[in-house]
Amino acid sequence: MGGLVTPYTITALDGVAYGLLLFTIAAGLTLIVGVAGVFSMAHGTLYLAGAYLAWHLADGGWTGLALALAAAVVVGVLGGAGLAAAVRPLTDRPLDQVLATLGIAYIAADQFSAVFGAEPRSVDPPRAVAGSISLGDYQYPIYRLLFIAIGLAVVAALFWLVERSRVGAVVRAVVADPGMAAATGLRIGIVRTSVLAGGGALAVTAGVLGAPVIGPAPGVDTTILVYSLIVCVVGGLGSIRGALLAALGVGQILTLGVAIVPGAAAFILAAAMLAVLTVRHRTALPGRPS
Amino acid sequence: MSSPLLRLEAVSRSYGARHAVDEVSLDLHSGARHAIIGPNGAGKSTLLHLIAGSLRPTGGRIHYAGHDIGRWPAHRRARAGIARTWQHPALARPLTAVQNVLLAVPGQRLTAIRPQPRAVAAAHTALAQVGLTELAERTAAQLAYGDQRRLDIAVALAAQPRLLLLDEPSAGLATSEVTRLAGLIRTLPADIAVLLVDHNLDFVSAVANTVTVLHHGQHITTGTPTEIRDHPDVRRVYLGTDTPTSPTPDSRATTAAVGTPVLRVRNLQAGYTGAPVLTDITLDVPAGQVTAVVGRNGAGKTTLINTIAGLHPAQPGTEILLHGQPLTGYDARRRARAGLGTVPQGRRLFAGLTVEEHLTLPRPHPTRSKTVDTRHVLDLFPALAQRRHHQPHQLSGGEQQMLALARALLAAPDALLLDEPSEGLAPAVVGQLATIITSLAATGTAVLLAEQNLALACQVAHDIAVLDRTRIVRHITTADIREDPAELHDPLTVPTTTPTPS
Amino acid sequence: MTTTLTPTPVPTGTSTRRCGRLPSWGLSAVGALGLAAAGALPWLVNAYVISLAATALVMAVLAMSAQLLVGWAGLAPLGQAAYLVVGAYTAASIATATSLGPLQLLAATAAGAVAAAVTGLLAVRARGTTFLMVTFGLGELVHAAANQWAPGGSEGVHAPPVVALPGLPPMVRPGWVYLYVLACTLVIGVAVAILVRTRFALLLRGIAAHEPRVQAAGHHTGWMLLAAYTLAGGIAGAAGALAIAVTRYVSPADAAMGISALALAAALIGSGSMTGACAGAILLVAARDWASGLLGGHGPTLLGLAFLLLAYLPRHRLAGLTTRFPRRRT
Repeated sequence: MGGLVTPYTITALDGVAYGLLLFTIAAGLTLIVGVAGVFSMAHGTLYLAGAYLAWHLADGGWTGLALALAAAVVVGVLGGAGLAAAVRPLTDRPLDQVLATLGIAYIAADQFSAVFGAEPRSVDPPRAVAGSISLGDYQYPIYRLLFIAIGLAVVAALFWLVERSRVGAVVRAVVADPGMAAATGLRIGIVRTSVLAGGGALAVTAGVLGAPVIGPAPGVDTTILVYSLIVCVVGGLGSIRGALLAALGVGQILTLGVAIVPGAAAFILAAAMLAVLTVRHRTALPGRPS
Repeated sequence: MSSPLLRLEAVSRSYGARHAVDEVSLDLHSGARHAIIGPNGAGKSTLLHLIAGSLRPTGGRIHYAGHDIGRWPAHRRARAGIARTWQHPALARPLTAVQNVLLAVPGQRLTAIRPQPRAVAAAHTALAQVGLTELAERTAAQLAYGDQRRLDIAVALAAQPRLLLLDEPSAGLATSEVTRLAGLIRTLPADIAVLLVDHNLDFVSAVANTVTVLHHGQHITTGTPTEIRDHPDVRRVYLGTDTPTSPTPDSRATTAAVGTPVLRVRNLQAGYTGAPVLTDITLDVPAGQVTAVVGRNGAGKTTLINTIAGLHPAQPGTEILLHGQPLTGYDARRRARAGLGTVPQGRRLFAGLTVEEHLTLPRPHPTRSKTVDTRHVLDLFPALAQRRHHQPHQLSGGEQQMLALARALLAAPDALLLDEPSEGLAPAVVGQLATIITSLAATGTAVLLAEQNLALACQVAHDIAVLDRTRIVRHITTADIREDPAELHDPLTVPTTTPTPS
Repeated sequence: MTTTLTPTPVPTGTSTRRCGRLPSWGLSAVGALGLAAAGALPWLVNAYVISLAATALVMAVLAMSAQLLVGWAGLAPLGQAAYLVVGAYTAASIATATSLGPLQLLAATAAGAVAAAVTGLLAVRARGTTFLMVTFGLGELVHAAANQWAPGGSEGVHAPPVVALPGLPPMVRPGWVYLYVLACTLVIGVAVAILVRTRFALLLRGIAAHEPRVQAAGHHTGWMLLAAYTLAGGIAGAAGALAIAVTRYVSPADAAMGISALALAAALIGSGSMTGACAGAILLVAARDWASGLLGGHGPTLLGLAFLLLAYLPRHRLAGLTTRFPRRRT
């Protein structure tokens, strides 16, 4: 045991927490891109909304957290459905969808800093899990361990939902062949809206749970958007498995990578994207026979 | 004879276990006019892609002008003198016709602000060759479809190729335009070798000196158009596994008389990027009957099925009625909900979903009176029961087809559209399929079957519509075919009469 | 699979003359008037508006950089600010050796081009939305790397005022800085105008419309797109040197997504025309800084509204407001 607990394994544990947080956010985005074909630039905004929600409702007890979680689901579903309604007239115009969601993200970011101020807010976890426990010679925050447990539960639930349930089969059928899915009698429009709403709920919930890890501040929306986007590109659009692997990898690069080679995280991430895109290059070109 | 310009040595291209092109060998000399024909999925276009470099072969060698070019990228092959056209005109639509041609004129500097007079002259020569001089300053998007096809050829010619690859050059052209195109290809300089893929066999006979027949990626035979016409293997390839000399007479005659039309199609028109594919199609499919639509490759069978299913847009004037209810304004889902089942060409199963998941997706809409017994449907396809946890790519072609059928049937359709269900299946499986289709009709389902396999069509259908060049040219009952089995061969295979260039 | 992000590129060269409603002398008259007004601006408005105008010119150069990729190569970049920042840091670094503006401009251009050439190896492998995502990711990674590695860290660095020509005093008054930036913008504009009339630009438009066709015509499209990306990076780097001349300060925050998004939106407003992209940049800067100054803040909200407007308004109608526009297919 003692040999296992080194500064590096502690950092790696942080990386797992970070990776699971990213997965919770990016899983929604990757499905949104894969199913609805919408590259939502407002996805980071939803996380930030959740983080501010946690800050606003946190009372140091479980009630505040529960209240924030309930509110997160409502806000996320409404936000996702709103985004779906906003991009509906822009079907088959991906660039305009990017512009529209970017516009929404800008307006929301401006409103956030108007309401919550420009300085970063720190959110404390519920008092019961605020302390730390010792792992070997090191102290580790309990909340982070709890977060890893919750993250694993989210992973399991999401995998079950997407890969085992009929709902997941419907979603994957729409990813595979929207036209044929419609001809099989599936409601493509409703599936798309639901995925946006579900992805939104996931992102806002992640914001509530992740607020003690990545707290609310102006600019966090962009940071989260970039990382979840890298996860989507590396993991492959529409793939939950890919997103999990990529998220865990990015989590390790952002923690362990930074600890081992300080400052190189940006380059490692760029290199990872390069490697993945090189492998997929031949299929990415338009006009090639598949 | 000198060494060939292009030599294919056992060239293959496979996708997993499927061989799109399977060890094809071919020699092409300068000045050759060579055509490749074959039914759907024969690997004709894939072969052109392999030669042009937009696909890499998975086996074999490609020699061109003394070089092994198998690993060369497309642009390097183009520089070496291989030019090509596409199935659908590949043009820069916002650019003018002459600008499109200038893209391909070789020997220009990238930094040149004005195109050199020599290059402009070459571009106009290429346009004149295809008869587009008048339209040089129009943007490609403004050109009519036939003109776009000719512009596509002009771009290829402007590169001053030694080998010209034409992918279905006559597709979507009117008869007079096809004649002009044949004339154009015949008058190309004698030192250019032309390799073309086409479905229009009159056109092929008019321009090609030699013809190669492919089937399931394999080389069947090569010869002059006359030799090909008389080759027994070729007839078999085009007509299916068996000639319909004696379709099994059964109890169909009793059911044949019943039923008002369930599915009615009136004046169906559809097209693809401006080219008309179907004009004025009118069909009735009564309950309990199988109507087959047969026709050569590229006759528009798939477009017909997809247009009825709502997977392809219909043009104004089209009427599609199911039980008298107009479907024309509906999307694919509402058509499915109204009782239309589709088994599309290539099956279009959902990649990544297991057999079991495929079968959970479709459900008859609650407003429909017809219900479905899932167990009964699955009893039709016993093979699927053992494959519940397999994904489509792990299934055999026959199992995939059964799954596609089961998926359509689970929504309890009143009318079932089947597009080339026999494609790529072994004869025994085709026989199984025939039994299933016949039993479906016996339960009262109206079936519209698009088939290239005439044997299967004759075996299961009550009447047969022959589609040729965008229209239904004949509509006869199967009983009449039984009297004169050879009657349908001509519109479906290589023409047996000498083509008369009109 | 072949999702095309491109608004149909529109010929700006010969066809403009043909399709424009004004005769050619009228166009040149309008151009000359606009130029005269731009040159006379320092004597017409106050210092604040002049510095805004200089910022607008910097964004106009960045918009031209984005337009080369969107309007010609058919690839929408969301990370052009990264190369602006590379150029700005380069200009600020060599400012310790020389305050000569044109020298800084050249060095920044070269640095932007080199940075774009290296990162472009990654970017030009993607097409469509993936290209947008990859360039966005690259931009943000440069942002993060600048925080970590660049001199001054997240605080940024200051640079002394630039000297327009050897022997002249350093420019401190906004009016002079503005005129210097205007002159540089015109020079860059002329260079870009020449660039987009070359055969290279024609081939880029061919690639945007149908890449396999250009390949089959014997061109290595990957290298051409990389060249276009490098050139765009160079233009963005030049914009960075101009930004240093205007603000005399650069920080990692200048690489933020907002700047890249503004450049991309300006290019889209321009609908395939370089003049339109510049006009779009000036409009957006006016909305973000000038109008928000009047409304007491909320620049991002105004910018967001502009993006929404741009997304929902039919593009060609919008383009008619900013630039003359040839008839196009519907």
